[in-house]
Amino acid sequence: MSTAISVGELLGKIDRGERLLLLDVRNDEEFERWRVEGRHPVETLHRPYFDFIEEETLLDQVPHDRGPIYAICAKGDSSDLIAEMLRDRGVDARNVAGGMLAYGESLQPVRVPLDPDEEGRFDIWQMNRRGKGCLSYVIHSRAEAVVIDPSRNIAEYERFVETLGAKIAGVFDTHVHADHVSGGPALAPRHHARYFVAGGSGVDLRQRVDPARDGEQIRLGGPGGVTLTVSVLSTPGHTPGSTSFLVGRNHLLTGDTLFVGSVGRPDLGGHVVEWGKMLFRTLTDRIARLPDDLVILPAHYASTAEIDEQGIVRGRLGDLRRTVPELQIRTESEFVEAMKKALKTPPAVYEQIIRVNLGLQPLDEEKASEWELGKNQCAASVRRAAEVVS
Amino acid sequence: MTKRLDVRGAKCPIPIVKAKKEIDALAVGEMLEVIATDPGSMADFRGWAKTAKHASLREQRTDTDEGGKTIFVHLLERTS
Repeated sequence: MSTAISVGELLGKIDRGERLLLLDVRNDEEFERWRVEGRHPVETLHRPYFDFIEEETLLDQVPHDRGPIYAICAKGDSSDLIAEMLRDRGVDARNVAGGMLAYGESLQPVRVPLDPDEEGRFDIWQMNRRGKGCLSYVIHSRAEAVVIDPSRNIAEYERFVETLGAKIAGVFDTHVHADHVSGGPALAPRHHARYFVAGGSGVDLRQRVDPARDGEQIRLGGPGGVTLTVSVLSTPGHTPGSTSFLVGRNHLLTGDTLFVGSVGRPDLGGHVVEWGKMLFRTLTDRIARLPDDLVILPAHYASTAEIDEQGIVRGRLGDLRRTVPELQIRTESEFVEAMKKALKTPPAVYEQIIRVNLGLQPLDEEKASEWELGKNQCAASVRRAAEVVS
Repeated sequence: MTKRLDVRGAKCPIPIVKAKKEIDALAVGEMLEVIATDPGSMADFRGWAKTAKHASLREQRTDTDEGGKTIFVHLLERTS
């Protein structure tokens, strides 16, 4: 029996509803900040590792009638020790390799089902970074793939695209991310692939990227083969350069412009009024003209409740038009007011992350891991603000 | 008397495991100064001190060592 389990294996067990006890041995502060979430509630016992070191008999109080025990900590070393101490007592206990750090970086690929006439021509893979609620995408047609909004952990995308038997032909960011370091600038040159991100007003990224124009069509699948059209749509607001990608006929990758439960907050650049107006125009003009049957594939989700039965975060535009609170607002001034009200202080590290993603500051791997701990805070969440008020 | 424990470069659980061993070997009233580079040690030492039977946390500070690296210093007293 192996003494460790990967984060991917653990999440698989949780999502299948297998009986298990997660023993979280981090300190109180870290446990309060964020923890493992599943599509089903996770039976979790929290007791810091130093309590067990101080008093080994506490190990006998860990219930072992709830199924196998999986111990987790920040980086995987303390929980390894505790799991070993439990095994020495004859308990079925294993370590979660890499701990919460690995949880924050692990990607789960889920294939998005397509319409019957599009099935077989191409694939859309939603790469779910569960620890952060970040979604990136691999679009694959024949021998080529494009990666959209890759995380910093680029080796996982490379391995995955290799298993598809394809090569990376393009890397696109829907916008300059604030909550995580983009893997784009590192991933694209390794494959001589085109890299695109639009900075927007006041930010010049032309030195670094291959610009994609609004309305441009990107063909994928190689010469003579079946081609897939990816169309570029300028959808400013969350950031001035925010771009959406229409994949095939029916799937729109909206980045942080439109989520399944809300819209992207327009205040991260410090211009909530200006960017808020931009976002309102995007939602009421550009997005409003798109058909109800379009499937929205966002770059984030706020809770595991947004993951559907098939393990995918997606929404039919017609449904979102009825359910997303921000899409119910009819005037620009009301919209900007709502955005201002929902405004919450962004994590201090967001400014640093933006600077790295703009290429203004070099990346320090260890720092980036620390910056990215915890869930994203990219949604405007008018709903939550309203609940607090009521 | 203050004993010094240098755990620079070590990650959790090593600083706490070693500090506990050192504390257990001290006489009541003696001090232990732990020098760590793991930022997580700040919250971990605070947490451990809450349950520790023989040790109390007297001081915590962030400093720079001779090489310019950030260090986290924890001062503990053997109390019983």
